[in-house]
Order: sequence, then structure tokens, then C-alpha cells
Amino acid sequence: MDIGTLVAGILTLAILSFLYRDNPFYRMAESLLIGVSIGYMLAITWTNTLMDLLFEPLFVDGAWLMIIPLLLGLMMLARFNRKTAGLSRIPIALMIGSGAGVAIPAMLYARTLKQVSATVVPLVDANGLPDFSGIVVIVGLLSTLAYFYFSREHKGALGKAATLGTWFLMIFFGTTFGYTVMSRMSTFIGRMEFLLVDFLKLAN
Amino acid sequence: MSRLQSRHWIFAGLFLVILIAMLLNLRLDIRISPYTQELYDYIENLPEGSVLMVSFDHEASSLPEIRPLALSVLRHVFKKGHRVIGVSLLSEGTVIGYRLTQKTAAEYGREYGTDYVYLGFRPQYIAAILAMGESIRETYPQDYRGVPYDQMPLLNEIDNYDDIAAVISIADGSLTTHWMEYGQARYGVKVASAVTAAMVTTYDPYLASGQMLAMIGGLRGAAEYELLIERDGGGARGMLAQSTAHIYVIIMVIIGNVIYFRSRRRGGSA
Repeated sequence: MDIGTLVAGILTLAILSFLYRDNPFYRMAESLLIGVSIGYMLAITWTNTLMDLLFEPLFVDGAWLMIIPLLLGLMMLARFNRKTAGLSRIPIALMIGSGAGVAIPAMLYARTLKQVSATVVPLVDANGLPDFSGIVVIVGLLSTLAYFYFSREHKGALGKAATLGTWFLMIFFGTTFGYTVMSRMSTFIGRMEFLLVDFLKLAN
Repeated sequence: MSRLQSRHWIFAGLFLVILIAMLLNLRLDIRISPYTQELYDYIENLPEGSVLMVSFDHEASSLPEIRPLALSVLRHVFKKGHRVIGVSLLSEGTVIGYRLTQKTAAEYGREYGTDYVYLGFRPQYIAAILAMGESIRETYPQDYRGVPYDQMPLLNEIDNYDDIAAVISIADGSLTTHWMEYGQARYGVKVASAVTAAMVTTYDPYLASGQMLAMIGGLRGAAEYELLIERDGGGARGMLAQSTAHIYVIIMVIIGNVIYFRSRRRGGSA
């Protein structure tokens, strides 16, 4: 067994020991995970971002315009001093402004317009018979929107539509929860497979 | 030592159920879902040598679920003779993606630089997706290993998304949404995904609207794909364990509800 598998096996058991109760082995494994993750992210950020995209173009290739992002980045660090904290507002404003400018049209198109257009579906099929899927989409959309309409009291027809909307919402939440349970089980099964096959060699 | 509580017995029961199911190592008869079939058909029908961008948009914590998904898709891509450009929009996924791509490429005797390259991580995923739409060369002047872009034969044919058949986002979060919002909507690149089960309901509306080409989800999706490519990668093996674990959870939910309603009828606090 290689050292990597041995360490991974011991750390997996240490993490699973939390299911019994909090203990020093679990805490050590947890701290190690956080430390290694942060260390890894720092290393990746240094090599793939700061070196590749900033320092090398600036100091090796002589791309002097790169001094602008360097200065903006340094301005961010001005937050640590109360006297210079105001400087950090410039890069933050630039980020939020450009971010909003890029994101708003894209999100409006992909998350709203395309999704709304996808709900415009025929309610009858090619044979003239009712299309059940289309009807469910329309009824689900309108009743869920009715639930989120708060400008009038949910009484009468609006109240009934809103109640129907809650049913659609609950079905969605239930499905999402079911998938989440499935996902967590998969993670546990993956670790069990590692323990049984690679670490303990109890299965092939 | 503290006394064992009911939750400990529930965990122990779940552990035993999964342990027995895994040791039995039986294969369930599974049905291929239409979305999995769509992704398979798409890759299957691409002309040989097509270039696919595989983006590893996940963290290390989801590896047990991501690994079978990534392996099955990459194996199919290499088996069909297509070429792969690997990228990562989350730093934690970088080395995982690199190793998985390397492993599967080696299985099919594919050569680095000609049949596949791994460009690695770029921060600020929206900026990275948009920048690649203009020029992948300028976004990644060199690959993950530090080899200059122009020195790799595969990349000499690639300028931007126009030269790529599709992006396959392997994700455990919402990053695939950004591929659709910026890559698909602005540059028209086709986007498919292999995602953890928890994300399936998030991406379902995008499949229904046609914004996403196809999706495989969770261990089940991996098992279906393994069945299609006739190659085991850990997904099919876990299906019996997953099904028995779900039955166990359902039984626990029923028992919990029975106890709750009985105690309420007796007037005790639930």
C-alpha cells in the first residue's frame, strides 16, 4: 500500500469518527483539511494567477499596462489601514460596475427571457389531444407566480391558485431534497468503496 | 465513554447496509435515462478528432461522486478518437481534472499536446469564460505544465469556442450556469454537463429550455453512462449500495414518523 492511500484511509476514518462524537482525531483531520485546502488554493493562485497573468507579463514581457491591475490589487489591501481604507473603494467600484454590466444582460437573457420563452408551449399535441406536460408547465408556472404575488390578500381564486402553487413548490423542494440525500449517499459510498477496495483490500 | 444514542444506531445500520451491499458486489439492471442517452449520442456521432473542452468546475469534497462521472465521459471521448482541452474554473478541481484526464488518456494511448492538453485554472470564472470566447491563446498563454500555447499541435488549430464542438462542465455547484449564460448565450458554444445529484434539479429547467445540450447526474448517471460505454468506473458498483441505502432511509423516515405520531397521541412532547 502506498503512503498516499494509507494517509487517506486513516484521515477518512478520523473524519468518520465524528459520527460517534467529537474527538481529537476528527479535529486534527478537519484542521488538516482546511490547512491543506487553503495552502493549495494559495499555491494555485500564486502560480496560475499572479505569476502567469501579472508578474511574468509585467516584469518579463514588459507589458507595462499590467501596472494598472497591480495598482488596483494593491488598493484592495489599503482596507487594512483605517487612514487609507477609502482607496479600496476604487477597485471595488470597478469590480461591481463591470460585474453588473456583464452579468445583468446575460442573466436577464439566460435565466429570464429564455426560461419564459420555454414555458410558451402548445397545450395540444399534433393529434389535437391535450398535451399533459404543457398543461402542467402552464398551471405550475401561473400558480407558483400567484403564490409570490403579495400585493393582494390570498383569497378567492388567487388564494386557491396560491395554494396550488405551494404544492408545486413542495414537489420541487421534495425532489431537490431527495437528490441531495442521493448525492450525500454517493459521497459516503465513494469513501466506503475507497476503504473497502483500496485501503482494507476487502473487495475487488 | 458516553452512552450510545439512537442516532449512533441509525449510523451503524446505514454503515452495515452499505457494507453488505458493497461486499455482495451485485449489478442492478438499470434503465438509461433520455438525457444520458443524449450526451452519449452526441459524443458518439461527432466526427472523429472533434475537440471537446472539459471543464472541471468542482471541489475536492465531491470527488467520490465526480470521479465516476468524469471517468465515464472522458473514456467515451478518448475511445471515439476525439481530442480534449481540459480547464478548471475552481482551483480545487485543477489537479483532480489533470490526473483524471491523464489517466484516461493513458488508457487509450493518447498523447499529450496532440490528443489532449490541460490548460489548468483561471480565476474569476465569468471573466475566464468570456475571455476564452475571444481568444483561448490569450487566456492561457501556457498550459498547466508551463508549455507555451504555440508549442502544442492541438492548440494551433484552436482560437476560441468556434473551434470547439462542445463544453462539458463537470460540476458540483452552479458553475455550469455561467457556461450557459456567457459561453452558450454569447458565443453559441454547446454546453453539456456531468453534475452531482444535488445539482440535477437546478439544471433541469435549462435542459427543458434547450439551453443545455445534455446532462448526466450523480452516481446513477455515471452508472448509466458506464453501461453505454461498456466500461466500469465505480458508478455501477455503487448503485446497489445506493438503492439499499435509500430503502434504509425511507424505513427510518417511516419509523421516525410512527414514533412521532404515537408520542403525540399520548400527549408527550414530540
